[in-house]
Amino acid sequence: MLAWLVRRLAASIATVLAVVTLTFFLIHLAHGTPCGPSDGPPVPPEVCAGLRRQFGLDQPLIVQYGRYLRALLHGEFGVSFAQHRPVSAAFRDAMPNTLVLAGAALLVDFAVGLALGVYQAARARRFGDIALGNAALFLNSMPTFWLGLVLMLVFGLWLHWLPVGGMNDPARCPRVDTLDCLADLLRHLVLPALTLGLVGAAGTARYQRAATLDVIGQDYVRTARAKGLRERRVWLHHILRNALLPFITLVGLAFPFLLTGAVLVEWVFAWPGMGWLSVNAVLSRDYPMVTAAALVASVMVALGNLLADVLYVVADPRIGVRGEASSVG
Amino acid sequence: MTVGTWLALAGVAVLALIVAAEVRSRAKASAAGRRFLRYPAAVPGIFVLAFVVAVAVAAPLVAPLDPYAIPHVEGVANLPPSLHRLLGTDPSGRDVYSRLVYGARISLGIGAIAMVLAVTLGAAVGVVAGYFRHRVDAVLMRLVDLGLAMPRMFLLLMIVALWGQISLANLVLLIGFTGWFATSRVVRAEVLSLREREFIAAARALGTRPARVVWRHVLPNAAAPIIVSAALGIGHVMLLEASLSFVGIGVPSPQPSWGNMIADGAPVLATAPWTSTFPGLAIAVVVMALNAVGDALRDALDPRKESA
Repeated sequence: MLAWLVRRLAASIATVLAVVTLTFFLIHLAHGTPCGPSDGPPVPPEVCAGLRRQFGLDQPLIVQYGRYLRALLHGEFGVSFAQHRPVSAAFRDAMPNTLVLAGAALLVDFAVGLALGVYQAARARRFGDIALGNAALFLNSMPTFWLGLVLMLVFGLWLHWLPVGGMNDPARCPRVDTLDCLADLLRHLVLPALTLGLVGAAGTARYQRAATLDVIGQDYVRTARAKGLRERRVWLHHILRNALLPFITLVGLAFPFLLTGAVLVEWVFAWPGMGWLSVNAVLSRDYPMVTAAALVASVMVALGNLLADVLYVVADPRIGVRGEASSVG
Repeated sequence: MTVGTWLALAGVAVLALIVAAEVRSRAKASAAGRRFLRYPAAVPGIFVLAFVVAVAVAAPLVAPLDPYAIPHVEGVANLPPSLHRLLGTDPSGRDVYSRLVYGARISLGIGAIAMVLAVTLGAAVGVVAGYFRHRVDAVLMRLVDLGLAMPRMFLLLMIVALWGQISLANLVLLIGFTGWFATSRVVRAEVLSLREREFIAAARALGTRPARVVWRHVLPNAAAPIIVSAALGIGHVMLLEASLSFVGIGVPSPQPSWGNMIADGAPVLATAPWTSTFPGLAIAVVVMALNAVGDALRDALDPRKESA
């Protein structure tokens, strides 16, 4: 188990390192020379040489790569062109906001997805199952940001129930320090979290339906029924206990989805998180910010996958043996 | 809308009905076809796809107005849907319905071309890795791991930030070249199991060259996962294109794509919601049709992996 964990961890680190290397070469490819073709007036060659020295671009590639790695290890992602401050400072402001949104979306995702999945399995191939299945398919097929716009239109602009953008009322609550302001934040959170969570729930329901159906078909469920247990007890103690277990692995796998989906949902609702920051940075061609955001996203995805694998083993001890056996081969 | 455009639209709908009916009757003849039909959304999905493809091809006939021309007249912006302008006008006064029709060309075109690129590349890498195994496999699969490690949206954002606005052709290439990783994994798994089968061993024992074994014996038998990932891939690419265009880094503005039409309408969502809602609905319906047909194809071609 421990050996497996170490090997798995090493694989994650290798993946992240590979992404870092790819990012480095992409940056080098695009901006290796500070005086490439540009829209501005031509830069004199001696200025170019000075710039190259100043940014260390006259050093061998391997030295530049080493420096890049060392800076990243120290949490230095460079300086944002557009915001004139270190990228890491901008991230420190934005990251909590994204985590709040992703956490709330995860809650919606699992609450709705698990309930619907179990319900669909209980009604398998009957009207409720088919209707919900098609609704989920439709939800999964629409652009997430468009669902956000539609929810914004209905609940924000027509019904005026909820605010349509931002994460607080800047006049009343510049920061969350009172209970009133927490309520304000939550009101702003509802629509983006619902948008992101519902699309996720469509996938979760599909997974949970299959998992529950799988358990319903097991011999021990038939045995439980055969010995005369009440249906309620069969469901609570025999089916759900086993069918709900695998979902914890989805926590890890939901991560990449929430991160990527959050980019556009944050953009639509002007939610000042990592996604909103990234899109703004792309529009102002602030590449240190975007490359750093991409790196952070990759690390989060690697962590999510690692978490999923570990939870998989924790959730089902039978898999541990299988996992070890397969990782040898 | 003139009588001619209504007739053209009706013609396109009839054509799509004929295609769907034809697919249905042909599918009934084979076991795989009947598995395809057992999926309730399969035939409606075929109808939707045939309809949209026909609309895209016949765009000049189906669209009553110029999708590009910005009329230099006061009071034509943000008009609500009416009989004359079926889906209203956008903030520049352009006919939303006509742009939707022409946008089908761009959105479907990008989806199809990028998907062909991605699936071809994915299938090639998957076959080579699965068939030759060992070091080739290890190297290629590490490359795939790397490709899957970085979220595609962020990779594309990064490339746009580094190189600036990309042309339509480069956008298609970029989406294609970043979309083959998952396909190659699926194909590799299929090829790994195929190459142990007797007919492949027989072909090799006869001294057939590897290229011929792959082309004549491995690829045709690995077609099922390739076709399925192609069908599901187009929908995925369309959603990606819409996302990129929505934030203004995808299809450049005067060209109508369903994604940038949603962006055009977003600022006037409160007063003129039709500009944003109809293109989004179009994407959702087409992607749903693609997903339905893809799922049905999976059931039909690969009964072992039938969805529950």
